[in-house]
Amino acid sequence: MLHANKSQTNTNKSPMLQFPAVSTRFRVLLFLLCVSCTPVGVAQSQNPLADDPRAAAAGGTLFRAQCATCHGADAKGIETIDAPDLTLLWQREGISDAAVFAIIRNGRPGTIMPPHSFTDPQLWMLVSYLHSVDASRTTRLPPGDREAGGRLFAAQCAECHRAGGVQGGSLGPDLGRLASRRSLDSLRTSLRDPDALINRGYEAVTLVTADNERVRGLIKSEDAFTLQILDSEQQLRAFAKRDLRELSRDQQSLMPAFSEAELSEQQFIDIVHYLQSP
Amino acid sequence: MFKTIKQFPLLICLCGSSLFAQESGPSYDDILAGFADGERWLTYSGDYSGQRHSPLTQINPTNVANLRPVWTFQTGTTTRGRGFETTPLADNGVLYVTGSNNYAWAIDARSGRAFWQYRRNLPGDLTYGASAPVNRGFGMLGNTLFMVTLDAHLLAMDRRTGDILWDVVLADYKTGYAATLAPLVLDDKVIVGISGGEYATRGFIDAYAPDTGARLWRFYTIPGPGEPGSETWPDDPDILARGGGGTWMNGSYDPELDLIYWGVGNPNPDYYGDIRPGDNLYSNSLVALEASTGKLRWHYQFTPHDLNDWDSNQLPVLADIDWRGEPRSVVMLANRNGFFYVLDRITGELLQGTPFTATSWARELDADGRPIVLNDGSKGCVPDPWGSTNFMPPSFYAELNLFIVTARETCATFVPEAPDFAPGQASFGGVVFIDNTVGTGALRALDVATGAVRWEFPYASPSFGGVMTTASGLVFAGDHEGNFMAFDAATGENLWHYQGGAQIWGAAPMTFMLDGRQLVLIAAGTTLTAFALPD
Repeated sequence: MLHANKSQTNTNKSPMLQFPAVSTRFRVLLFLLCVSCTPVGVAQSQNPLADDPRAAAAGGTLFRAQCATCHGADAKGIETIDAPDLTLLWQREGISDAAVFAIIRNGRPGTIMPPHSFTDPQLWMLVSYLHSVDASRTTRLPPGDREAGGRLFAAQCAECHRAGGVQGGSLGPDLGRLASRRSLDSLRTSLRDPDALINRGYEAVTLVTADNERVRGLIKSEDAFTLQILDSEQQLRAFAKRDLRELSRDQQSLMPAFSEAELSEQQFIDIVHYLQSP
Repeated sequence: MFKTIKQFPLLICLCGSSLFAQESGPSYDDILAGFADGERWLTYSGDYSGQRHSPLTQINPTNVANLRPVWTFQTGTTTRGRGFETTPLADNGVLYVTGSNNYAWAIDARSGRAFWQYRRNLPGDLTYGASAPVNRGFGMLGNTLFMVTLDAHLLAMDRRTGDILWDVVLADYKTGYAATLAPLVLDDKVIVGISGGEYATRGFIDAYAPDTGARLWRFYTIPGPGEPGSETWPDDPDILARGGGGTWMNGSYDPELDLIYWGVGNPNPDYYGDIRPGDNLYSNSLVALEASTGKLRWHYQFTPHDLNDWDSNQLPVLADIDWRGEPRSVVMLANRNGFFYVLDRITGELLQGTPFTATSWARELDADGRPIVLNDGSKGCVPDPWGSTNFMPPSFYAELNLFIVTARETCATFVPEAPDFAPGQASFGGVVFIDNTVGTGALRALDVATGAVRWEFPYASPSFGGVMTTASGLVFAGDHEGNFMAFDAATGENLWHYQGGAQIWGAAPMTFMLDGRQLVLIAAGTTLTAFALPD
C-alpha cells in the first residue's frame, strides 16, 4: 500500500508543512522516506525520521489519540494500571529506537500493552515523539563542581539518601537514580519544597502502638486491615490497624526543606553534578 | 466411539448399556431452578435473577472467622493490568472455569486438580482483546459448555474433554471487536454480547442455537439509518455504523416475562461528543429484549450523550419486592455514572434514581428520569472512566432489602480531542487525567427503598471486587489490595479476611455444597482459591 501511494504523494506539494490529519501526515512522511531513499516496508534499525521535528509533533498527536489513555497525555504513565512513565524510557538498559518500534508494534505479551497495527512511518513518528519527551533531554545542567557536590551530599543528604551504590540511607529515594530520571526543575522543587509533591511510598505517618510506642515512618503499603511502613530508624515494620492506639497521616514530607541560605543554587548544582557522575 | 462399540456386541450384552450411558448434564429446567440444588452453580450469577444470593447457611456470622483455604489452583497465565474475572460453574463435583487469554479448565472441586485445560491459539493482532484479555465464565447446557473469545468467537465445548464442538464468528476482531462475558444460556438459545466500544464498532446482542451455533437473532444496540432511535444521532450512516454501544457484560433473564435485560456501553468516540450530537440511543442504556425474537420491549437510558466512557454494562439485578406498599417486579442497576436505579422491569418505568457515590456529575434526575447534569467534566473532578462501580457483580439481599455494591470514589479530568477513525485502532476521542492521589473505595449497602447508604466498609483504594451474599447473613467481597472478606450483611461489620496476594478484579465469589461441606471460591491474580470451614 505504501509503495502504491508513493508516486502520488511525491507530486503533492501543498501538505508538506501540515500535520493536522493522518492522511496528510502519511503523505509528508512518505515524501520524507522517498527523498532519503530508504526502502519502505522493510524493518529498519534506524529511525528515518529522526532528524525531522515534524515527525515528533505528528507522533505526539498520534500518542494523545492512541496511547494516552494508559500512558497519560504527558507520557508519564498511570501508576494504578502499571503503565510506565515513558519519559524515562530511554534510560532503560539496552533500549534503542528499533526496540521501542518493536514494542509498540508487537505489544508486551502477558501485559496490558497490546500490539498495534500502526504503519512503519507512524511507529517511527511515535519513536520520535518519545525522544522529544525524554526526561534527560529537559535537564540542562549548568557548570558545577562534582567533588564539592560529593562532600555536600555526604554531609547533608546521605543520612537518608544514597547516590547509587551502598553508601547512605534508604529512607528517601536513591538520588543517583533520580538525578538522571528527573528534570532539574523537578529536583529543585523536591529540595526547596518537598511537601509540594509526595510520591506514593513516601507519605509520612505517625502511629502509636498498643505498648504506647510512638512510631514515625513512610507508608510503603496499606490495605483495609494492615499498614506496612519504613520507620524513621529505617526498619521495615508492619502493624494491624486494629492494634494501634493512634494513626495519623502527615501532610508534610519527612524530607526537610532546604532554603537558599541552607543550600545555595550553586551547591544544589554541584550535588547534581556529583549524582550524575558515573 | 459407537462404531467401536458395535464391534463388541457381547461386551454390551454382558455389561449392560448403562456402562456406556452418558450423564446428560444440566438441563434448562435445572438452570431455571437456580439455587434449588445447593451442589450446583449453573450460570454466571447462580440463577437468572443476577442477585448472586445463595441460600446456603453452613458458613454463618458465628463461624466464618474459621474459614480457611482448602486448595489453590494456579492458572499459569497472567492478566497484567486487569483481573482474573471468572465465576466458575459447579456441577457434580466438577468446576468449569474460564481464564484470561482464553484458557479454560475442568477442575476437580475436591482437590483443585485439573481434568483438562483448553488454550486457544489467539492471533497476534488482537485489538480490544489484547488490552483486556479477560473472560468472565462459561455458560452450560447438557454436556456442552459455551465460551466467548478475545478474537470474538463463540465456542461450544465438550465438558468432559474440552474438545471444540462448534466455533462461530461473532464479529471481525480486526475491526476492534472482542468478547469477554459468560454466555447466558436459555432453553434453546445461547445469548452473548460483544466488546469493542473503544473502537469504530457497532454493538449487538446475539442469540445462537445451542446444538448448531446457528444465529437465531441479532439486536443492534445502535440503530441503522431510519430505524427507531436513529433520530438521536446525526443523519449519517457512517456515524451510526461506528456508534459503539458494546454489550460486554452479562445480562439477566425473567423466564415468566421471557425478557432478557442487558446493559449497553458507551457511544464511540468515548469522550468526543461534538460529532455525535443527540442522546445516542441505545448507548448507556438498559434494554429489555424479547428472548424469543430479540425485539426491543423497552429501554431506559442512564447517561444520554455520554462523554465519560460510563458504559452501562453493569449487571441488571431482578427482584420482586414491596415498593411503597405494592408488590412490584423490578430491575436494579448501580451504574458507572454514580447512580443506583430501580425500574419496573415489565414497563421500564423509572421508580427511583439516587447517587451512591459523591459524584459531582449530577445529584438528581428530572421528572422524565433524565440526569440534571451539573458538571460534564469541564468543572473538574468527575468519576474516572472506570466509573463509580463497574462490571464487578453486586448482590441483592432480599430479606434486608439491601443492594450491596463496590463503590469507587475517583477524580478525573476529561480532555476531548477529535479522533481519527481506522479499523483496528481505538478512537477514544481524547485523553483522561486521573488524579491518583485522591481515589478511595468502599463496599456499600444501599437501602433499596430509598437508595440511602445503610452501611459501608471503606477500602484503601478504588476496588473492582464483586459481591456475593448468603442467606446466613453474610456478604463476601474482595478489594484491590487482595483481601477476600466476609461481612455481617445487616451491619457491615468485617468478620473475616484473607490476603490472597492479588487484586480481586472483576471477579465475584460463588459457593456450593460438596460432600456436605460449603465451599466458597474466588478468582484473583493467577489463582482460584476454595475456602471452607475446618472439617
